[in-house]
Formats: sequence, C-alpha cells, structure tokens
Amino acid sequence: MADSTLAVEFRNIDKAFYGVKANDNVNFQLRKGEVHALLGENGAGKSTLCSILAGLYRPDAGEFLFEGTPTVFKTPKDALAAGVGMVYQHFRLVSNLTVAENLALGHPKLGMSISQAELEDDARQLGEEYGLPVDPAARIWQLSVGEQQRVEILKLLYRQAKILILDEPTAVLTPQEAQQLFKTMRQLASEGRSVIFVSHKLHEVKQVSDRVTVLRDGTTVGGADTADAEPRDLARMMVGRDLELPTRDAQHDVGDAMLIVDDVRVAGDRGLEAVRGISFEVRGGEVLGISGVSGNGQRELAYGIVGLRTPTSGTVTVDGEDVTSLSVADKIDRGVAYVPQSRLGMGLAPGLTTEDNLGLKAYRKPPYSKGLMLAASVFKERGQKWIEKYDIRGVRPGLPIRLLSGGNLQKALLAREVELNPKVLIARSPTRGLDVGATEAVRNLVLAERAKGTAVLLISEDLDELLALSDRVLVLYEGQVAGRMPAEEATPERLGLLMAGHKEEAAT
Amino acid sequence: MTTRRIIVEPRGLASLGLTLAVPAASVLLALIVGAIFLALTGNSPGEVYVKMVDTAFGSQRGLSETLISATPLILTGVAAAVAFKMLVWNIGAEGQFIMGAVFAAGVGIALGSGTPALIAIPVVILAGAVGGAFWASVSAVPKVYLGVNEIITTLMLNFIALNFMYYLIFGSSSPWRDPEVSQFPSGRPIPDSGRIPEILDSQRLDYGFFIAVAFAILAWFLISKTKWGFEVRVVGDSSDTARYAGIAVPRKFLGVFLMSGAFAGLAGSLYVAGPVGALDPRSLDLGLGFTGIIVAALARLNPVAVVPVGILMGALNNAGPSLQSIRVPAATVEMLQGAILIFAVAGEFFIANRLRRPEKKPQPVAAAEGGEA
Repeated sequence: MADSTLAVEFRNIDKAFYGVKANDNVNFQLRKGEVHALLGENGAGKSTLCSILAGLYRPDAGEFLFEGTPTVFKTPKDALAAGVGMVYQHFRLVSNLTVAENLALGHPKLGMSISQAELEDDARQLGEEYGLPVDPAARIWQLSVGEQQRVEILKLLYRQAKILILDEPTAVLTPQEAQQLFKTMRQLASEGRSVIFVSHKLHEVKQVSDRVTVLRDGTTVGGADTADAEPRDLARMMVGRDLELPTRDAQHDVGDAMLIVDDVRVAGDRGLEAVRGISFEVRGGEVLGISGVSGNGQRELAYGIVGLRTPTSGTVTVDGEDVTSLSVADKIDRGVAYVPQSRLGMGLAPGLTTEDNLGLKAYRKPPYSKGLMLAASVFKERGQKWIEKYDIRGVRPGLPIRLLSGGNLQKALLAREVELNPKVLIARSPTRGLDVGATEAVRNLVLAERAKGTAVLLISEDLDELLALSDRVLVLYEGQVAGRMPAEEATPERLGLLMAGHKEEAAT
Repeated sequence: MTTRRIIVEPRGLASLGLTLAVPAASVLLALIVGAIFLALTGNSPGEVYVKMVDTAFGSQRGLSETLISATPLILTGVAAAVAFKMLVWNIGAEGQFIMGAVFAAGVGIALGSGTPALIAIPVVILAGAVGGAFWASVSAVPKVYLGVNEIITTLMLNFIALNFMYYLIFGSSSPWRDPEVSQFPSGRPIPDSGRIPEILDSQRLDYGFFIAVAFAILAWFLISKTKWGFEVRVVGDSSDTARYAGIAVPRKFLGVFLMSGAFAGLAGSLYVAGPVGALDPRSLDLGLGFTGIIVAALARLNPVAVVPVGILMGALNNAGPSLQSIRVPAATVEMLQGAILIFAVAGEFFIANRLRRPEKKPQPVAAAEGGEA
C-alpha cells in the first residue's frame, strides 16, 4: 500500500543508546512538497529520528520506507545519494576552504579538474535563486553563523537533495534572519521538496510548517495539520502537562553596584579585538541580560570578567575592588561564579564523578582539603547533600558525570556555583538544550540568586529567556554595546534589529 | 525486519570484576596463540609453559630473579602510567631510566666507600630520581612553554641518553669507567656502602623491589589522595575545565612530567645500586623503559596494578633465556609479551562497550501517523 505522495515513512522505529531508548516505536510520515515540523523537548528523540533518516544511525528495529520502498541507509553518503541531507546544529564545514570549495567537497559528480570560477558561479546562482546570499569566494571562518548555515543549505541544494532536514536552524539566527530562512523553506516546499523543521518554538512551527509531529520521551505522541493545531494543545502534547515557566517578579529591591565593567577590551582568538570597549554595571539583586547573535563578543566578555582572559584595557570591579588582572582562582575567592556555555567542555570535568565535580571550586580550602591532603569524606558528604537538595538524578558511585543527562549536568554545575555564595553570577545560555523540567529548575535557581542579592549577568541567545528573567537588557554587536533598555521596553523585534547591527535613534 | 544481529553500544560504567577479567583473559588468549605458534613450529606448548613457570616461580632462585627483573619494570611502568593518565605523552622512560642510572652510579662512585651506608644509599637512590627528572625536563620545559611536541623529543632523547652512556664507558676514560679492567670496558663498581643490601645471603634479590612497590603505592597516593593529585586529575580530564576552575595548568603539566621522569630515573638507580652494581651498558640497555609502556597499558594506567603486571613481565623476561635449554628461541617470550599487549588493547573495547542482541518484537503494520502511544 505504497502512497506516492509520501517521501518517507517510519514505522515503529526503535533506537537505543546506553540501553536507553532514544526512539521507541516512532511513526512518522513525510509528504513530498511539505514543510513538516518535528516538535519536542530536548531528549524527546527528534535528533535521533533525523539522524536515522540522514544515515548517521541505523534503527534497532522497525521499518523505514523511502518513497515506498523499505530501505536502510548505511552511511550519510547513502542518504545523500538518495537525496536526503541534513543541516546539523554544529556545522560540518571546512573553515579554511571557501564557500564554493565546501560545496564541491565530496561531490560525486565532480571529476579530477574543477573550475573555481564555474563553481563560484554555480554557488552564486543557487544562492540568489533561493534567497541564500553568500559570497562564494569567502572562506568559511570569515562568515557569520547565519551565513555558514546558508552554506550548509546550499551544499544540500547543490547535490539536489529532495529532503532537507534542518535541526533547530533558528537557534543561531536573529528573528529577521529566521524570517528569511522561512521564506527559503516555503520556496523549497513549493518545488516539491520536503523540509523537516526541528524546533521547540511553537510560534515558529505555527508560522512555517504545513504539518507537525510531536515527540515526547522518544515516542510520537501526536500529529496534525498545523493550521488546525492550537499552540496550547501542541505545548501540552510536547510537555505532557500544562506548563508555566518561571519569570521574574517586577517589584524588587536592588542593592549597590556589585559588578562594574568599565570600557573593557578583550582580545579574540585570532588576535583581533572581540570586546571593543564595553561598559555596564550590575547591582546586587539585579539580572542584566546580554543578548546578541553568537560570536559578537559574549564569550570574550565573560572570559574577561572571570579571569580566563585578562582584558587588554579597562577595569572590572567586583564589590568595590578592582579585580581586572586577578587570576581565575583569586576571582573565585572574591565571589565570582561562572556557568559557561559548554557544560562538559569547560564547566565540568567529564570523566570525574559528580561528587568530585561539585567540589571543583571549593577544593582549595577547608573543609575540602587540609594542608596538602584532600578530605574525601567531605566531597562525599557535601556531594550527597547537594545531589539531594538540587535533585540531581542518575548519580551512581564512581560514575563519570558525563553520563548524566544535560539537565542534571546543568543542575550540578549551578549547584556548585550557587553554593559558593557568589557576589556575581555570570551564566551563559544556562538553559540551552535543556528540557522544560530542567529549564524550570535552572530558571528558579537564577531567580533565587537574584532574590538573595547576587548580581546576575545572563548572557543568552534565547530572547524568550532573556526577557523572562532580566531586569535590563543590553545588546552586543561586534564587540560593542548596540543598545540597552529596561526589560519592559524590550521586544524580540527590537532586540533582533539591534542584534543584526541596525542602529537606534536615542538609545537609553 | 531486524537490520543487525548484534548491537555494539558504549557501556556506562564497567564493573570492577570486568576490569580485572579482561586483562586476565588477554593474558590467557595470548598464551593460547603462543601455544598454537609453538605447536606449529614443532614444540610442545605444555613443556614450554611448564618450563617457563618453573624457571620464573619454581624455586627460590627463580623467584628472586623474577622480582629482580620486575623491579625496574614496576617503576618504568609507574612512570608511563602517571604520565599517560594525565595525557603527558612521555615515551622517554628509556632515556630517563638510563640517566637515572648514570646519576646514581656517578654519585655512588663520588661518595666513595667512606660514607656510611645509611646516608649513601638514600642519596644514591635519590640521585637517580633527580637524573630522570632532569632528563624529562629537557622535553618538559619546551613542551610547557613553547608547545614542542613531547612525543618526538622524549623519543629522540632516549637515543641520546643511551649513546651518552656508551660514550661514558666505551668512548672515554670517564669516572664511570672501571680503570682496572682493560680488555673489555665496563663500569666502575659502586662501593658497597652505596649498594642496596640483599634480602637473603643466598639470593641476589635486594630491598630495591620493596622500594619500587612503595613508590608505586606513593604514586597512587599522590594522585588519589592529595590536593595536588586532584588538580592533576582535573587537568588530565579536561585542561579547559582545569583553567576554568582556576588551576595553573602548565605547572601541573610540568609537575607530572617531572614526576614521571623521576620514577623512571628511580628505576635506573635501584637497578645500578642493586643487582647491577655499576654503570654497565650490557645490563642496562634492555629496553626496560619501553617495556614499562606495555606494563602501564596492561595495568590500565593504575599505578598499583602496575605491580602485579610488572611481576608478570619480569617473570617472562626471566624465563626467556631458560627456554634455550629446550631448544626454543628466547625471543618466544618477546612474542608472548607482544601478543599480551595486543589482546589487552583489544580488550579495552570490551571494557568500554557492550554487545547485545536486539530485542525481538512483533512488527504490526501501522501506517497511521502519530501512532497510539
């Protein structure tokens, strides 16, 4: 009973990792010529489903029909040859090659000799046709994140992909860039191609997709034509319950300026200045949100404050003391806590136990250590106390922390930082990639710090989160402050324009 | 439709039993492969293995010689284990061992016979540690401050150390060379006051073996029980995380590197101040530093597990020459060592992963979108 309008069909697909089912009895149909949204929390199995389709994983059980025929893609190459391509969240581009060279890379139809000019012409034409403008001669590292994403999509179009999978493509885009991407997606669908749009943002799903499939806990819980679907129903399907994420209360006393950043400049990785003269202050009990498209100096600003990179000029003051050139350890002592963006890459030691990781900042002093010796019993006692207090799940004796889920990793990281009783808490994208339950817990922890009188610097690309938690918002663009405003005056549209580099008249 | 018969998936946490069983199975499999090889070449595997066990453990003398062979392997094994665990790729234990021996013999000779043994012996032993650490620093300092690849420098310095030792004995009339032997150059004996005493009158085994075991335990203690060790473990796990936690990463790296060199150097001093008694190239140029890498790998980089593995390797080394009496090449032992290493490395796969069959389940034809959940 093959249905010729179907591009892909999944029947009862199972896939497990570490014995945990990432996909459990998943059913999914993709029609030709539609934008199909896959909606679900992180860990709901969206990425696994897409990776099976893209040939990265093979299902443990179940049937996978491609244009009506049972198929197994053994490798991404197989999938691509059949016309299925995926744009991953982490781009797969060679950063030292040009856009055109990246398009040509591994292309099966290209022979030994390649004409650079022809390639570039093709790339330019394709870009113009689909509203994906990018300079074909530019090297990848010179491009913004949004442009790199366009290259990824062009790569698939250049190979005549019939099915394009976009894994949370809007996470790295400004609202305006996202709108442009949606236009491209509609155009692709109108040509008879199929687009899978992975997201957990309801308004985007509602805007761009024809149909929607909702996943929860690895299994498909429902599907509908988008036009008939109420956002609230979709949300309930996605989360499994009615949900209200915590937001800050408006009425609130703030203290003195706890963190003052004055005309700070910090070098970037390539020697160019990434933070170019930024000034602001955060008072005790206040959350200052910093928004901006990723790569506009957020990381270097955080490094400059916590001491991972000494500012080249300007001053950083914490509770009245100039700490600009102090070491990381000295700043920890003075109450600077930091939740970095990369949990396992920086915030936690992935191979060590949860207890060890919880002591990672306090180990230098009693009771964690006495003289040269470590007090293992204290690590254990405190560790267990905090694991309970912060509801960190999945911990077993001796288990490396990297095997915990993202939400539990983040809870452990925040627990450790908050238990330092910091004066200043810097958090970068603290809820990124977390499910709703963990997001709730993390937001509550941040708000609890605010209530305790800590100065919180929240650096995030998630505008919804920024607006929900921040008292004031500041926008970074190319290492400078593009605008600042009280949260009440900030809207996603206004922030989006500033993030894209549009100037505003008379900023506050 | 099942797509595969067996599924490989990463194992979260391997049990203690498994981490012990896999190396044991590796040794067993290597012996089986060795048996096949021996049978094919017309030998009786049973006879060879009985002979080996008998030589290595069957007599007081055999046991004594086995532990003598094991002593330097334990320490070069610890040297490799502590370094590799922290991602310091020091493969220069061979050279650091030699320099340890050079320093120890030099100090022992310089102290002369007039120094009381209670002072001379510790000084000679420590001189080896200093020599090893010094030789490691030649690679460690450029690595930490200039980013020079330590794999290359430690490897090259092995050959420089070896040739330096040959120069001291064969190429010059250095203080290390015995002036009283003229026919074939050899090392000048370290005076008895600087030599580690033997345990039994009848056997060559000295207290060096126990010193080596004590240092292996010390290495474990430093890494798992001290503040410094905690920092080192964090650096070894993720240097970005260490930097984030305020740990001075270059200093820790340097510390581990020098410690690794010191352990290899100790192996050298215990060997010259123990069974060898002089800077004797023929007794020292045996690749004991390289074998230490095998020992460390088999011990899964655990400094305490290095002790039994070192004894096993020592037993093999000790048993090798005896095989010639039953007309089996001594190199058989090297083949066995190599086979053990290969199986041990392959065994890592089974510690890290688990194999299982996919669950069978009925396949209803369900074309409905969404499913019933």
